Amino acid sequence: MLEVRNLVKRLPDGRVLLDGLNFRVERGEFVALIGASGAGKSLTMRAIVGLTSVSEGEVVFTGETGKVYRPTATSAKELRRARRNIGCIFQGCNLVRRLSVLDNVMIGRLGRIHPLRSWFYGFTDQEAREAMESLDRVGMADFAARVTGSLSGGEMQRVAIARAIYQHPLFYLADEPIAALDPKNTEITMRLLQPLACENPILGAFHQPDVVSRFCTRAIALRKGRIIYDGSPHLSSQQLAAIYGDGGAHPADMQPALVGS
Amino acid sequence: MRSKEFSLARYRRHARPAIVLVALVIAAAWQCEVNFRDLLKGIAKGLSMLAFFFPPEWRAFPEMIHPALVTVIICVIATPIGAALSIFFGLAGARNLAPPWLRLLCRSLIAIERGLPEIVILLILVAAFGLGPFAGIMALAIGSIGMLGKLVSDAIEEIDGRVLDSAAAVGATRLQVIRHVVIPEVLPSLVSHSIFRFEVNVRASVLLGAVGAGGIGYELNAAINQLEYNRATAAALTTLALVFVSERASDFLRARILGGGTV
Repeated sequence: MLEVRNLVKRLPDGRVLLDGLNFRVERGEFVALIGASGAGKSLTMRAIVGLTSVSEGEVVFTGETGKVYRPTATSAKELRRARRNIGCIFQGCNLVRRLSVLDNVMIGRLGRIHPLRSWFYGFTDQEAREAMESLDRVGMADFAARVTGSLSGGEMQRVAIARAIYQHPLFYLADEPIAALDPKNTEITMRLLQPLACENPILGAFHQPDVVSRFCTRAIALRKGRIIYDGSPHLSSQQLAAIYGDGGAHPADMQPALVGS
Repeated sequence: MRSKEFSLARYRRHARPAIVLVALVIAAAWQCEVNFRDLLKGIAKGLSMLAFFFPPEWRAFPEMIHPALVTVIICVIATPIGAALSIFFGLAGARNLAPPWLRLLCRSLIAIERGLPEIVILLILVAAFGLGPFAGIMALAIGSIGMLGKLVSDAIEEIDGRVLDSAAAVGATRLQVIRHVVIPEVLPSLVSHSIFRFEVNVRASVLLGAVGAGGIGYELNAAINQLEYNRATAAALTTLALVFVSERASDFLRARILGGGTV
C-alpha cells in the first residue's frame, strides 16, 4: 500500500544522500529501517511525509477506497491531503510543551478540519471524546489535563503515539521512537506499537537490533543512502557488521540527516 | 615586595584609559562652559527654590485623581494594542516562519522604531492627530512594538524546528501551525513582557503628558509654568505614587505568571 519508487536526494553540491530507494510496505507489516547515523533513515522518513524535497522518484500510497496519495507532490493541497493520512510518531520532544496533553493530541486532527474552525478552537465534543479514547489506549487518559512540558520522556512518547492514533492514518512513520528512552519505556512503547501495526503498517527507524528482531516483521537496512538489505528482522552478527560498518562512522556518513525542505 | 610590584603594574595598566577619560571630561566641561562658581551659586538658589515647593497644596490632590487616571488609561489602552500588533511583527520577523525579505523588512522597521524615543513619535503624531490622549495612546502603542515585537520574534525563533515540522506533518496549514504551536509557545512570555512594558509606559506617559498627551504629566508641567509650585508638588507626589503602584502591580502579576512556570 505504501510504495517508495526510486527515491533520490541530491544536494546542490552534488553529494547524494539517498541513492535510488525502492521498497513497498504492505498491510500488517512492522518494518524497521536500520543503519548507521547518517545512512539516510530520517531523511527517508522526512521524504515520505513531504518534509524534505526529493530530486527524483516519488512516494505513493493508496487509501481503502483506492484513492492515491502522493506526499512528494508539490501542490500544497495534495500534500496536505496526503499528510493527514500519515501518522508520524517522532521523538516526544516534538510535542508543544506549553499545551495540555489533550490539546497536543487534538493537533493530530488539524489536517482534517477547516483552518478557520481550528483557529477558533472549534473542536467538537465528538472529537474531544475520540482524543480521550486515543489517550486511554496508550494509558495516558489520566494525564489529559496536564501541561505536556511536565511529563517524562516515556509519557511524552505515549502522548505522541496517541496523537498518531487519533489521526486515523493509513500507515505510521516512527522516527527513532525509542532512541531517548530507558529499557522499561522502550518495552512499553514497543508493546503499544506492535498491535497498531496489525491494523495499519508501521515504518520505523530503530537503532537496537534486539528490539527489531523481537517486535518487527521485516528489516530494511540503509548504508550511505542505499538499501543493502531487505528481509527478515533476525539479523546475524555478520549482517549487522556489514550494515553498521567497521565501528566508526565514515566521514561521508556524518552529513546532517535532517535537511530542511 | 613582589606583590607591590605586581600591584603597581596593575595600576599602570589602568593609568592610560583613566587619563584619557579625565581629559575627555575636562574638555567636554570646558566646551559646555561648566563653571564651578555658578554651580555653587546655583545650589544655594536651588535650595531656596525648593522651599517654594513645600508644603504641597493638599487641596489639589482630589483634582489630580482624574489626570492620574487619564495617564493610566492611556497605558491600559496602548499596551494591549502594542502587544497585539507585536504578534504580527513578531511572526513576520521570525526566521523560521517568514521569508528572508519579510523578516529583514520587519526587523528593520522594529529596530528603527526602537531607535526613536516615544517623545519623537509623539511629536510626529501630534502634528497628525493634534494634542490630547489619542496621540499619546498611539505613540505608546507604536513604542511598545519596538520592544515586544523583537521579543516575540526571538521567542518564535527559539521554538524547536522539529515541533513545527511535526505539526506540519499531520497536514496542518501554516496558519494552523501558528495558532496551535507558535502562539501557545510564545504567549506566556509575551504577556509577562507586556506587563513589564505597561510599567515602562506609565513612566513614559507622564513625560508624554508634559509634551501634550494629557494626564498627570500635563498637570505637572502646567503647574510649573504657572509658577504654582505647591500644586506642582502635589502632581509630582501623585506621579510618584502612580509609578510605585504600577511597579508593584507589575511585579506581582509577572511573578504570578512566571511562578506558574507553564501557564
